[in-house]
Formats: sequence, structure tokens, C-alpha cells
Amino acid sequence: MGTTDTAAGTRRRGFPVTGLQAGVVMAIGAVAAGSFFEVRPPDAYGICMACHGRDLVNWVVNDLTGWRLTVAPASLVFPLLTVVGVVIGGWIAAVMSGEFRFRKPSKPLKNFFHGALVMNFGLLAAGCSTRLALRLGAGDPLGAIGFGAMVVGIVLATFWIRKAAQR
Amino acid sequence: MTVAAVASLVVGIVIGFVGQRSRMCFVGGIRDWILVRDTFLLKGLVAFVLVSWVAFPLAALAGGEALGSFGTPIISAVLLTAIGGFGVGWVSILANGCPFRQHVLAAQGTGGSMVYLAGFFSGAVAFHTWVSPIVLELI
Repeated sequence: MGTTDTAAGTRRRGFPVTGLQAGVVMAIGAVAAGSFFEVRPPDAYGICMACHGRDLVNWVVNDLTGWRLTVAPASLVFPLLTVVGVVIGGWIAAVMSGEFRFRKPSKPLKNFFHGALVMNFGLLAAGCSTRLALRLGAGDPLGAIGFGAMVVGIVLATFWIRKAAQR
Repeated sequence: MTVAAVASLVVGIVIGFVGQRSRMCFVGGIRDWILVRDTFLLKGLVAFVLVSWVAFPLAALAGGEALGSFGTPIISAVLLTAIGGFGVGWVSILANGCPFRQHVLAAQGTGGSMVYLAGFFSGAVAFHTWVSPIVLELI
């Protein structure tokens, strides 16, 4: 297990936002994007790092090579740019608070495979952790099943890494 | 459709900003609560689900597009969603953060998360080129 980034007890410089406030802002953003700004179909598609990232990459690949990789209906004409926005927003916040610092990857191969695996599992479940939570909020039974399975995965993996750390 | 692209960019910038300031993570809340009984991120996850649950009908009342009906899921979709959800949770814990958190970490200079994103986006092409046809063959 690498370095954890739990926020317990640490003071934040700049404009501190609590987890609770972030959850509320993200939920309002996700619902507004889906209900008022055409980030649909499918339903409950306001925020999804895996699906929107897939849409962006596949749209660009299709455009460059003429392939026909799957893209969600919301991204057919022009891809959703949520992932680009998150990186820009995170970068602005990091620079403003003086937290931007390049750290060399310690296990790049492991990071690469984790990324590829999460994307594949996410696309299998039709949503990353964020969208599974959003689908649960929207009342989608499949989303609720995916969210429940994700919670089981998180709990088991947490106990597993704790056991591995104690050995 | 361009409206959707601009809106998603703006929403992305806003959530990226608050995500960096709060260290929001959708798997970290449950992990932190199990490991150290810290509820900082867990409150965010619960608030996200509850607020979206209230906001979807409110947005429809305010003139937004209502959600369609979801219908009864078929067994193969249930199975694939359960496997996918479990995998997302498990591997995100090993990777030390959900995809959203990894984007924010990459934006603040963490090299490991930048490599993670490279794998993440390659994974999308790999899924639709190889994994998805195999899965469709199996079910």
C-alpha cells in the first residue's frame, strides 16, 4: 500500500472544502448537467470518469483512424470533456493553494495496470465509482446492484490490505 | 450536443476544484472509515447519493428532463454489473483512490496517477477492441 491521503487532522491552506460540501456540489453539478445541459442519454450520465473518458478517447480514435469504437449517444457529435475539466480544475486549485508538486511514480507498471483494470471493470458495470453512486441516487436498480458490489469490493480489499500490512 | 461538451467542461472544472480542495474520493470514504473510523470522505459519498436522489425529481419539476423508467434488469446485465462494480471497488482500493481522485492527483503533479491515467485511457480502447467482444461472445 502506498501513501494514503486521508484528510484526518491535516489543516488545508487556501479555501478548505469539506468532503460533505464537495459531495453536495458534485451531486448538484451531475444532476444539472444531465437534466438541463443535454449530458444524456443514457440517464444519470452527469459525471462519470470512466464513461466520459472512454467517450473522449474513442471519439478521438474514431476521428483519427476511421474506426467505429463505442461512444455514448451524448458524445456522438462532440465528446464530453468532463475528464479535461477535472484535470484543469484540480490543477487550478493545486496551484492556487501551493500544493502542486511533481512526484515521480514509484511503481509505474503497477499504476498502469490498475488504471487499465479499473477502466475495464468500470465499463463492464457501465460506470466508475462516481456514476454508480449517481445511478443509485437516480433509482436505477442496476446502478444499485453495481454500487452494492462496489461497496463489497471496497470492504474486502480494505481488510485485505490491512492484513497484508500487518504481516 | 456542443452544449453538453461545454457544460461537461464547466462541471468538470468546478468538481475538479472542489475535489482537490476536499480530497474527495468515492472509495476512500469507506476505506478511511474501516481503517481509522474517519468520516470526512464518507460524509461526501453519502451526501452525493442523497442530494442526487432529491435533486433528480426537483430538476424535473423545475423544467429539466425527467429520468426515463429503468425497467427490470436482465440476469446477464445484473451479473456483469456486479462483477464490474466489485472490480472497480477492489482495484480502486489497491490503486489508492477512485478514478475521480486519480484525475485530481494527476492534476496536482502525482506521477503515479499520471501513469494510472495512461493505463485508464488505453484500457478504454482495449475494452472495446478485445474485452467487450469476448464478453458478448460468452453471454
